[in-house]
Amino acid sequence: MMRDLTMRQTAPAGFPSTGKSGESSLAGRILASRPQTLLILNVILIAAMAIAYPANFATQANFSAVLLNAAQSGILVVGMMILMIGGAFDLSIGSTLALSGVVAGALVGWLGYPAELGILAGIATGAAAGLVNGLIVTRLGINPLIATLATLSIYRSLTQLIGASGVTPISNAFKFYGQVKFLGLQSPFWVMLVIVVLGAWAVARTKVFRQYYFIGGNARAAQLSGINVPRLTLMAFVLMGALAGLAGVLAAARLNSAVVSAGIGVELSVITATVLGGASLKGGEGTIIGGVLGVLFIALVQNAMIINGIGVFWQGMIIGLVLLLAVSLNRFKQRSAR
Amino acid sequence: MVLRLEVRNVSKSFLGVRALDKVSLSVAPGEIHALLGENGAGKSTLSKIVAGVYDADEGEILLDGKPLHGLTEASAARAGIGIVHQEGSLIDHLSVSENIYSGRPPTSFLGQIDRRKLRSWSAELLAQLGLHIDPDSRVADLPSALRQVVEIAKALSHRPKLLILDEPTAALTLTETDELFGVVRNLASQGVAVIYVSHRLGEIFELCHRVTILRDGHYVDTVKVSETNTEALIRLMVGRDLEFAREPASAPPGEALIEAHAISSGPDVHEASITVRRGEIVCLAGLVGSGRTEFCEVLFGARRRESGEVMFKGRSFRPRQPRDAMRAGIGMVCEDRKETGLFLERNLVENTAVTVLDAVSTGLVVSWAKAGALAETFRESLGIVTPSVYQKVGLLSGGNQQKVLLAKWLATKPALLIVDEPTRGVDVGARSEIYRILRELRSEGVGLLVVSSDLPEVLALADRIVVMADGRTVGELSGAEADEVSILRLATVNTQTGLETMETA
Repeated sequence: MMRDLTMRQTAPAGFPSTGKSGESSLAGRILASRPQTLLILNVILIAAMAIAYPANFATQANFSAVLLNAAQSGILVVGMMILMIGGAFDLSIGSTLALSGVVAGALVGWLGYPAELGILAGIATGAAAGLVNGLIVTRLGINPLIATLATLSIYRSLTQLIGASGVTPISNAFKFYGQVKFLGLQSPFWVMLVIVVLGAWAVARTKVFRQYYFIGGNARAAQLSGINVPRLTLMAFVLMGALAGLAGVLAAARLNSAVVSAGIGVELSVITATVLGGASLKGGEGTIIGGVLGVLFIALVQNAMIINGIGVFWQGMIIGLVLLLAVSLNRFKQRSAR
Repeated sequence: MVLRLEVRNVSKSFLGVRALDKVSLSVAPGEIHALLGENGAGKSTLSKIVAGVYDADEGEILLDGKPLHGLTEASAARAGIGIVHQEGSLIDHLSVSENIYSGRPPTSFLGQIDRRKLRSWSAELLAQLGLHIDPDSRVADLPSALRQVVEIAKALSHRPKLLILDEPTAALTLTETDELFGVVRNLASQGVAVIYVSHRLGEIFELCHRVTILRDGHYVDTVKVSETNTEALIRLMVGRDLEFAREPASAPPGEALIEAHAISSGPDVHEASITVRRGEIVCLAGLVGSGRTEFCEVLFGARRRESGEVMFKGRSFRPRQPRDAMRAGIGMVCEDRKETGLFLERNLVENTAVTVLDAVSTGLVVSWAKAGALAETFRESLGIVTPSVYQKVGLLSGGNQQKVLLAKWLATKPALLIVDEPTRGVDVGARSEIYRILRELRSEGVGLLVVSSDLPEVLALADRIVVMADGRTVGELSGAEADEVSILRLATVNTQTGLETMETA
């Protein structure tokens, strides 16, 4: 299914893909699409670690830890990928995440509302934050970088004003939603799985989400082709905000604590995963599967650095270098194709 | 007397297309020499070669009898050649004086910019042009007419021996035009040679001494303005071979589809009106910059309409965005397929399906089988040459890209199809096929509004011709009776001075 969805970007539904130069060689075929490259990288990394550290790495406990760590970014990458396919992005997601967690925590922990209401309110808060971002970008015509840089700061400050030093503990009923286990894996992982599958399907197949490829590819042409570019861009920001809200609520539930410093810096690691997964700042490119594989790769590198004792300080170095390598390979491929 | 400028047998090709073929031109000191020709005749190319923007492929350029070699914009400026470009070369957020002396401001101790000198020099130049604007004001805050004058001041700051003005009055009002003419005459009386590029015949008769006519990149003739008249000039401008014969509609047109009355929008469209009926091809002719594309964009909802009424299928019609027009049954094939028409990185299937995503979807889901079948249909009916419908559109030839662009709109089954420059940059074969497609649409009862800068194309396609000049619709001709002369006569009307060709003739 993974392969099927990723192929669809250029050659939909089982139709033969157009041959590009360089794809006939083995290396060319492996590097043909970013998700394939990433998949292979991930498999190599897992295999190498499993052989080198069978006792520490290849255990169910370690895998579930890796997947749980990847869950938050996995949820966020779906929204970010959709935004970036459409030629935008959102820097404020870390602050939105914290704000949503604090709103949910305060409603449930301080004011005693039911956990379910808190969760819904948290997601709604995220969606509202996304709506504001989207309105600033589409109505005021402010560049997404500047707009969300501003709201990154505003939303964080709002979180601190509401949450003060945070809400701890929230409630047992609330905690349940972040800690309940199914097949040995905690709920954030399952939520991520549902979102990723839905997102991958929507972006690959549905007419609403396919339009983001047109918008990112050529916004003016999309508008002139009858696509409502501002409305769809606004929608993508709202979706991103709602997903950040969901991630924030889950993080608070998992720890049974809403922390005002939650999510600092996640925007950069999520954008890293998104670009690693095949998105470009120009827009028009990328797949959900690619983004998720990017998240998985970052989580695996982090885990490997801890287990092999090299140390987490090397993590940034490796991820940065892989990012540069992946993007320069693309440029090289484009140049040789012309 | 030594000629100020002598151009000998200059040729220039762009991507294999000959834009200039052995063109010669001579200008004496103190002479105002007009350069005249239709759209694409090579006037701008020649001006840019003289100003060092482009390199000539062959031929010689002499200034004051001395040959110039390896001319660049900077060396041309140093040699005394100034040019005022058609499109702005100003930097919006800098001041007027900084723009005028951009690149070489007066300096004082340690290379500091001497602000006082900069200001006083600029003020002096502007006063010479009869303008009293603050040299410190930002260019972005000036109306477009004043920007044009700042451009001229910038060219004059080099104290040129030869000044090239490329369509300088396009954005000017009548008084400003008069003032500009005064400045130009004054410069000429001081011995500056002036090359004046314009479509406006009235201006040429008012200002210039001699005129050189170009046609399709070829030199046609140089005549003294005092010894010619408008009619003779127009005859020298036209005269291209008609490659395609006119094929009139087999049936008379049906009822009116769209009736636009007195449409205005921004600086580009002023009270323009047009009617297109079912089963007819109406061509919108005019010079580049006459507001044809902008007018069509207003009809299509891609540009704000400030005033005027539009009736579509008998109902008042006000699209807020292209989507509204599309749903009502209007399609618009835009002028620039690469910039605003196609998604070059995406394949043919997606490029044809983009306008009809609802039709090729089952519920929420896009059916690629339906979209693929749709693309295959058009590949066959329009004769699109491609190894596969899953080919990236960016890899197709110009003619095939143009057909994909048409397919995208034919897929919406429009009642009215606006086609802006249907055959720009396509070869002769594709051109005749596109004409066939447009005529077939006409026989199916589609109303077609075709914008074209190519007069033979207009004559080959049009049942009726509406001519625009300066954002206004200035006249209408029947396709059967029109010829290049009658179209150009309308298109070169100066709507501000009212100096019609007939008055000066």
